[in-house]
Amino acid sequence: MNLAGCEPERAQIAGDFVEALSRNGVTFQPTLPSSGASEFVQTQATTILAFKYEDGVLIAGDRRATAGNIVVYERADKVLEIDRHSVMAIAGVPATAWEMARVLEHSFHFYRRTQMQEMSVDGKVRALSKLLRDNFGFAMQGIGVVVPLFATFDDKFEHGGRLYFYDVMGAQFEVADFAASGSGSPAVKAILHYESQWGKKPLAGRSEKEAVSLALRALETAAESDTATGGVDRRSHVYPVIKTITKAGVETVSEKTLASIYEKGMP
Amino acid sequence: MTDEPYRYVEAMANRREYVENQLATGSPIVALSYDGGVLFLTVGPERQKVFEIYDRIALGALGHPGDIERLRMIAIEVASTEGFTRSPADVSLRRLTSYSFSPMLKNAFEQVYGPPLLARLLFAELGWKHEPDLFVRLDFDGSLQTSGVGVAREPFGVLAGTRRAMNEMHDFLKTKDLSEPKLSAALELAAQAWGVGTYYSRGEDHREKPTDESISGVLKDALKRNVFEAAVLECGAPEHHAYRPLDSSEVEAVTARYRGSD
Repeated sequence: MNLAGCEPERAQIAGDFVEALSRNGVTFQPTLPSSGASEFVQTQATTILAFKYEDGVLIAGDRRATAGNIVVYERADKVLEIDRHSVMAIAGVPATAWEMARVLEHSFHFYRRTQMQEMSVDGKVRALSKLLRDNFGFAMQGIGVVVPLFATFDDKFEHGGRLYFYDVMGAQFEVADFAASGSGSPAVKAILHYESQWGKKPLAGRSEKEAVSLALRALETAAESDTATGGVDRRSHVYPVIKTITKAGVETVSEKTLASIYEKGMP
Repeated sequence: MTDEPYRYVEAMANRREYVENQLATGSPIVALSYDGGVLFLTVGPERQKVFEIYDRIALGALGHPGDIERLRMIAIEVASTEGFTRSPADVSLRRLTSYSFSPMLKNAFEQVYGPPLLARLLFAELGWKHEPDLFVRLDFDGSLQTSGVGVAREPFGVLAGTRRAMNEMHDFLKTKDLSEPKLSAALELAAQAWGVGTYYSRGEDHREKPTDESISGVLKDALKRNVFEAAVLECGAPEHHAYRPLDSSEVEAVTARYRGSD
């Protein structure tokens, strides 16, 4: 713990954690390699999805991390709680994405503590956009490409759920109903589109149970044709990570609930 | 000046007297362990005097608002930087106060040509599971007083404008049964301790300890123009959210007791 340089008068933007870090000599981004960067095989994480349901937003991700045709890890967590009402789900390189999530989490707490108020939803959405833009040099060289989803809950709106997807450069797109990212996302998007257009109920009218069931089936379908997507592994009890964001905050759907919903099928 | 020892000593004494005079009228702050965590309590106009610092650390401060703000920002920045580069579990109040704050405050106080920091700080850290909570008081000259170590650790910390008031508040709480009181009992005890501190802060040369009536008289008088400000560090709260200011309904019972018509 070093106090050198801790002079708050020098702060340019009140409550900005990234700036506070650089003021204290902490850099969280490695330097850009000059060449040969895209030669090595990076670990990748896929597939994530999110949609609005009755109580808020459901956000889910499979558990597989791959590097080329190798399965690196079958229990990766790609759905990361950032604060009590926001979740970031990651598709892309976990090394970069997890660090982005960590910066984001610390930034929100830092803002709340220093400014003594919660950061606005728009401010939070921008913060992730800025991290992606700062990473663009790497992405251009083919390293550390991250394409996240961000979901949060805002009381000010009629349906409190807010859902965004991003492109590699950091543009944020707010969506009304659903979003998906990662290599298995074409199948997932097709299912969610079909369900929202011609399903028994619109997505936003579904109960939590119905929503969880749909998410599990969509990830299973993606895993059917995409080897980089894990789906449900019942023998080893590996289920996707599914979180809900409602007025009450972020909740993780327990493995037990996932197992029982998966076995019973769509109610 | 430093090559003339007498003038240096004189300058420091003057400086100390000046800072102590500036702080003397500050409203006391009490921090107390209760069965669900740590309670902070003070009385004042709407200005906030109790703050969240990190996951398990809170701060109560008296002095100049500008200096309090500066110190509060430094505390958050140091804790957050440490929590980010290592992990939140590595942030500890002991290290924050003894390695960062104490030397910095001492330095600021002894730089005779710079303005001194007009502030006195009371930090509290929520203990992990079965560990007791820790209270640390830091004075403007960097001197540091903790609530003790091991089993002898006192479950409270006090802060006031004068040394006498702090000693009396400490002695008052020492005589009370502080074995994990409920929040309501802790609020009442903290309010009384605040009353004791204020009784002695007002400058009169009290020879006698205040009676229960004079304590409640002080509180009734203060609450005519001011409000209770209270906050807690709660055990079992969601991660990163142990700190929570109490709203007025939660301190209503103790407010009602001292808001009588007499």
